[in-house]
Parts: sequence; structure tokens; C-alpha cells
Amino acid sequence: MKKELLKTNYEKYALANGLEVILYQDKSLPTVSINIWYRVGSANEKPGKTGFAHLFEHMMFQGSQNVPKEGHFKYIQEAGGTLNGSTSIDRTNYYESVPANYLELILWLESDRMGFLLPALTQDKLDNQKEVVMNERRQRYENQPYGLSWEILFSNLFSSDHPYSWPTIGWMEDIAKFELDDVRNFFRTYYAPNNASLVLGGNFEIDNAKNLIEKYFGGIQKSDFIPQVVAPLQTLSENKKIIHRDNIQLPRIYLAWHSDKAFDNHDAALDILADILTGTKNSRLQKNLLFDNQIAQDVSSFQYSAKLAGSFIIVATAKPGIELENLKSEIFREINNLINKGLDEEELIRSKNSIKSSYIYSLQKLDSIVDHLNHYNFFLNEPDSFLFDINRYEEVTANDVISAAKIILSKPYVELNIIPKS
Amino acid sequence: MNRSLAPQPQEKISFDIPQIEKITLQNNVELYFIKKAKLPIVQLILFSSSGSINDPLDKKGLAFLTSLLIDEGAAEYDALQLNNELEKLGTISSINVNHDTFTFSLLSLKEYFERSLELLSKIILEPRFEEKDFGREKKRMLDKILQLKDEPSYIAASAFEKQLFGSAPYSFPEIGYESSASQIVNNDVINFYKNKFIQSNFSVIIVGNIEKEEAIELLNKYLGKLNSSSLVKNDFVIRSEKRKRIFFVDKKESAQSEIRIGNLIKLRDSEDYYAARIMNTILGGQFSSRINLNLREKRGLTYGAGSSLNYYRSAGYFEISTAVNIKNTEEAVSELLNEINLIRHKINDDEIDFAKSYLIKQFPSKFETYSQVARNISPLIVHNLPLDYYHKYEDAIAKVTKEEIHKAAIDYVLPDESIILVVGDKSIVQPQLFSLFGKELIELDIYGEEVK
Repeated sequence: MKKELLKTNYEKYALANGLEVILYQDKSLPTVSINIWYRVGSANEKPGKTGFAHLFEHMMFQGSQNVPKEGHFKYIQEAGGTLNGSTSIDRTNYYESVPANYLELILWLESDRMGFLLPALTQDKLDNQKEVVMNERRQRYENQPYGLSWEILFSNLFSSDHPYSWPTIGWMEDIAKFELDDVRNFFRTYYAPNNASLVLGGNFEIDNAKNLIEKYFGGIQKSDFIPQVVAPLQTLSENKKIIHRDNIQLPRIYLAWHSDKAFDNHDAALDILADILTGTKNSRLQKNLLFDNQIAQDVSSFQYSAKLAGSFIIVATAKPGIELENLKSEIFREINNLINKGLDEEELIRSKNSIKSSYIYSLQKLDSIVDHLNHYNFFLNEPDSFLFDINRYEEVTANDVISAAKIILSKPYVELNIIPKS
Repeated sequence: MNRSLAPQPQEKISFDIPQIEKITLQNNVELYFIKKAKLPIVQLILFSSSGSINDPLDKKGLAFLTSLLIDEGAAEYDALQLNNELEKLGTISSINVNHDTFTFSLLSLKEYFERSLELLSKIILEPRFEEKDFGREKKRMLDKILQLKDEPSYIAASAFEKQLFGSAPYSFPEIGYESSASQIVNNDVINFYKNKFIQSNFSVIIVGNIEKEEAIELLNKYLGKLNSSSLVKNDFVIRSEKRKRIFFVDKKESAQSEIRIGNLIKLRDSEDYYAARIMNTILGGQFSSRINLNLREKRGLTYGAGSSLNYYRSAGYFEISTAVNIKNTEEAVSELLNEINLIRHKINDDEIDFAKSYLIKQFPSKFETYSQVARNISPLIVHNLPLDYYHKYEDAIAKVTKEEIHKAAIDYVLPDESIILVVGDKSIVQPQLFSLFGKELIELDIYGEEVK
């Protein structure tokens, strides 16, 4: 693979109010993308008041001082652009891509809601979006088979005072009682230039972009005090088993361990471990559960790593008539095999190759490049970390994978069984 | 500074839609080719016309099962070895079946494209279809059918299409039913491969950082033995019941109701397609549409609501789709019916300007990734659209008149012929629908058949 493909030229600086700016120019494209990360996610919420960060993913599209309700979507769509936002436990992002000649429009829109959202935030809008979010919760979780499994799993893996113990969308009873004053305070605290980074990518002139960014964002007030999240250290002293009944046909087992946070010690080795366990038809667990023994309908695993903590998760759905105990013992048999007997060089190469090619495939979309730059800036304080990141995987040895499995997967774990109601 | 006015756009940057070249290979396979440089990537899509409409009546699910089995071992490789060969290249491959087509897709790094294509050729020309793989994959498919009973949106979609298409081939889900799929034996799969698949019409799309000559040479080398038939005619006519029908399906303890409203429309290559597309953009085709702004942004009844024009090769249908808080089913359905009436009566100039601008200006972003460009070519193949379709698109949208858009609303959104279908807990949705429709209301089972 050509290393220069993954070298991304960028310029990074900060405005006087603390807004971080990263410019990534590519004049071969007909578009520009803006991607803003606010360093606020559901981890910044408090028990009893969960769901605020995600609520803003809705309120930020409800208009601001100079943009009417529904205006944000209309302006972007009329320009032929695309837009959205997403909320995670650590951060929220907002992004738009438009034809390059609409650069100033997206800077105007993003700056208006960063600096002037509150004058336009009304009780009516909040009431309306509360309903929409409750419907989102119903549609994406409550009305989906196995839909509540993730929040059950994480609220058991993490203690109730840990900010990763509640779902990003929030608990239904918390959403139902959002108060306008709380919503305003949350915005004042976290949605400020000194708590955000702005990546602009695509076809623009550097000097012009700098001038426009200063013009639209330079006058926005910084936040006086941004509280940092403190999270208690998490360990499980013993295994925990939860059984939940749902309207489903096939039982499903979830196993979750505390693991390493993003970019920490075993993080990359655990990504590779997940791939070796379940990533392909030839992976250990797919081969055992799906191919040889045919006792599972599907199996997957992943290292879910974030800023404050990480977890390693394995999920498998039982075939009709198969006990979850049976799946569980085969899963542990394969884990022990891997720890005791090691792995083939070929498994490692297969996994590394698929990670490498997925990096190249991700470079196809400007949206995804600019989001990556923000991601690396957030975690590593260095936007251009594509090569560094790939090298993390490149350097993982068979022994690294085995010792990661040994250290992480021999700890106590949470087991969740979702079983049919009838 | 004055923030009160939206900044105006600068001078437009020109965007050239890539030229599609169509080449007939010596085996009659049509190649649609676009060279796309920049990244070392090649995307290939291979189409066969042997979709699920070829399934025998008592063996619905046969094309689908064939697609699960065709890459479970080929030539010198057994199932796991074959997959391993592809996996170690980092190539992403997938096989899909829908009613009209049976497709293979490869996304590979350029350096591994030839090897990926070689493996694909073994899958297509020398599949093993061994009994032990058959047993495993058939069971997997039957268990998937079982799991789909849990998905309210799947139940809504399949019951809706069952009622919409009556006895036509499109009325059956590609994956089939337990009763039909369980009848399939390995010989059925082998015969489907021999009599339908290999004798079907084939086309290939390649979008990649590769020269045309090289692409042709590789296709001749690895797929030269494939013979594309020009005799396949999958066209048929759908007869619609020209009356309004109202249905519900019971889904116990559902938090929401899934709502579908729609009717059959003209085929994709109709001249009024552009007018219909603009009309649907205004009605429900995007976030700022009438339906979404009413149900979501005004009333807070749903996370999202919209409408779409959907096209198979021999049929088209208009469909409104949403999921709402189950206690608001009545309000949501009556608001949707109201929107249907409104769009047939009045469309404003500013709505038309917005829709045209949206459809024209988003064009460059539809040609960004290798897969997007390749997928854009697919409808040209399935619906026989001209090669210069995208080059004429902007003009075609721009010149549609208000009268034509209004006529499209009258011709495409048909309240007197529509199917209204709701999936939700019977004890909650039935009384609400009864108060709207009275005795017209009919209960269906999860397969879309009337409950007697």
C-alpha cells in the first residue's frame, strides 16, 4: 500500500475564543464539507437528567436567531447538500456537505446555532421535539426485537454513577420531563467555541475560508466554565447474569467485559481479536457456531472503546431449540483455545488486510475524511493520524492478541440473556 | 456584521458527470464502464436477470437460497477455503437477489482486482452446490424467516406488497415463506442454476482506477465462458384492484404502529417520471416535505414520515411510510389521507422551485464514491434507460411545468385505489381504525392473507 495515500495535509489553528479550526483542502472535488465536534456527549449528563446531548441533535435543527424553524434543513437541501448530526457517549457532531459555492451558507448556519440558538429556543419547540425523541426511542429501541438489550447491558456493566451506564438517547422518564431551563443551561455550558473543533474540507481557498470562519465564528462568546467528566474506576468483582424477556423468536446471549479505552494499551489488539473471533466466515466463532456445530444463527463481537472506558462484547443468537448455555460454553472453548494454542499467522494477516483496505475505502467520502480528522484530533490531538492508526494495527503481533484475550477475557463479565416471552 | 440574511452562493463550480461507455463483449455480456482515478479502488457489479420472479409457485425462495449457496464452495475450493481466499485480499464481496435481478458485487483494491475477479468467475461458473452446504444454508434461511416475524417494518412491507400485487410474482417476499422454502431440495437449486441463472441475461458495471482495455481483457479472460442470453423476457403486466382497501395486522404489545399507504403507478421509463419525482419530493420525498413537516415537526407523532416512488422492472408503486406512537394511529392516518387530498389540489410555486433546486444541485454528491457511481448505472440496466440519462437529467427536471406536476399528483397519488395498512397491537389500533373506516376494515395475518 502506498503510504502517501494516507498522508492528509491540513492546517490547524485556533480563534481567540478558543474554537479549534482544521482546514483540509482538496480542489479535485466539487463540494465542501463542514464537520463540527462539540466535546459533549451523554457522559456529560447527570442521572435523572439523561438524554440532553442527544436532544440537542434535534434542537440544533429547530432554528436559531436568524434561521427560522425548519430553515436549517431547507437552506441545505435547496443548495443540494446533505446534513446530519450524531451523538455518542463522548461527543456530538454536526455536519453538512454542499456544492463548493455554498461555503458561506454553511458557515453562517453553523455559527448561528453555535452563538445564537437560545433566543429562538421556545417551550413549543421543546415540547414538539420531546415527542419526536420519544418516538425515536420507540422506533429504534422499544419496537425493535432485542432493542433494549444495549441499555440493559451497559447499565449493568457500569455502576449507576458511571456516565456510560445510561443510553445516549436517555431514559424515557427523563426525556418526558425535560425542562426548558435545564436545556438552556446545558447549551450555555457545552455548546461554545472553546468546547468545539471545526473541520472544513474540500474545494475552497485557504485565505478566503480563514476570513469567513473568523467573520462568522470570531464574535461568539466562549463558555466560562466547562466541567470535566469524572468517572469512577470500574471493576466487576464477580460475574453478573441478567435475563430479559422480549417478543422474539430466538434467544440471544450478550457477554461484556471491561476492556481498554480508545487508543489505550490493548485497544488495537482487541479490534483484531474481535475480527479473528467473528469477523469472517473463517473466524473462530463463526466457524464453530455457524458452520461446524450449526447452533447459532449469527455471532458478532467488537471492542467498543471510548474516551473514559472500553468494553469487549460478544453477541450470539441461538438456533431454535438450542440453549444459550450451549453457545456460551462453545464461546469460552474457542477463547481458551486461542489463549492456549495461539493463532496462525494467516489469521492475523487476513485481519490486518481487511482493516487496511477498509481505511482506503473510507477515503472515498469527504464526509468521512473530515469526521476522521475530528476524531483523531479529539483523541490524539493530531488530526492527521491515519498512518499512525494503521500502524497500530500493523504492529500487533500474535502474542499481543493472545495476551489481550488473556488479560481482558479472563476478568468477570456481564451476561445478558434475551429470551422469548412465551 | 449583519447576520440576518443568508449568504448568497458564489459562482458555481462546474461538475462533469462521468461518461458511461457501453461495450458489448464477445459473449454478449454488456459492460458499462467508467474510469475513476484518484484512489486505487475498483468496484464491479455483475447483474443476472434471474431474480425471484423465476421462482416456481410452490418453491418461493429458490433464487434467494441459490444466492446463499452459490459462493459456498466452487472449483477447487470448499466453502471456507473460497471465502478465505477473498477475505485475505480485503475484498468486500456480496451477493443479492431481488425480484428482478441476481447480483454480485466486488469492492477491491486495484492490486487485488484480478484475483478477486478470478475468484468471482469460479463462483459464477463452477459452484459446487454440495449437499452438506445446502442443509446448513437452507436451515439458516428458514430460521431467518422465523426471525422476520419479530420485525414490524418487515411485516408491514411484505403484507403491503402481498395486497398490492395480488398474485403477480412481486407479491412474494424474495426470501419466501416457511411453507414454500421448506419444500426446496438441493436439486431445485442446481436446476435453477442450470436452467435460469446460467441462461439469463448478464451485464457488468465496472467503475474503477483501471483502463477500459484492461477491464475488457480481464472480463474476457475470466468470464469469457459466460454466455449472455438476449432471449430472456421477464416482462409481465400487473392488474390492480381499482378500489380503496383498508387493512391491519396484529402485532402484540407493539409500542408503535407501522403505517403504509399507497397504490400502483406507471413504470420507471414513463415520460412523466420527472414530474412525478418533483411532486413526490414536495409531498414526502425528503425531510422538508409536507408529510414529514406535518407529522414530525408540527405534531410530533413520529421520528420520521415520508413517501417514495418505487420501481421494479415491470411495476411501480407509490408508498407513504411511517411508524407512529400507537395511540396516535388514527390522527396519523387521517393526516396522511388529508395530505393525499391536498397534494392533488394545490402545489405552490415556491415548493416547486425548492424541489427542483434540491433535485438538480444534489447531483455532484451522488457521484462521490466508486459504489455510488456504479449503483447509479444499475437503473439504466434494469429499466432500459438511455446511456445519456444523467447528462439530460438536469434539463429534464428544469423544464417540467407546474401543470405537469399537478397532473402527476392526480395520476400517481390515488386515494380511490389505495391500500391502507397498519401493523400494531390489535386492541389499540383496531378501535382507532374502525372509527375512521368502519366495516371496511379487514384483518390480515402476518403474511398479508385475510383472517377469516
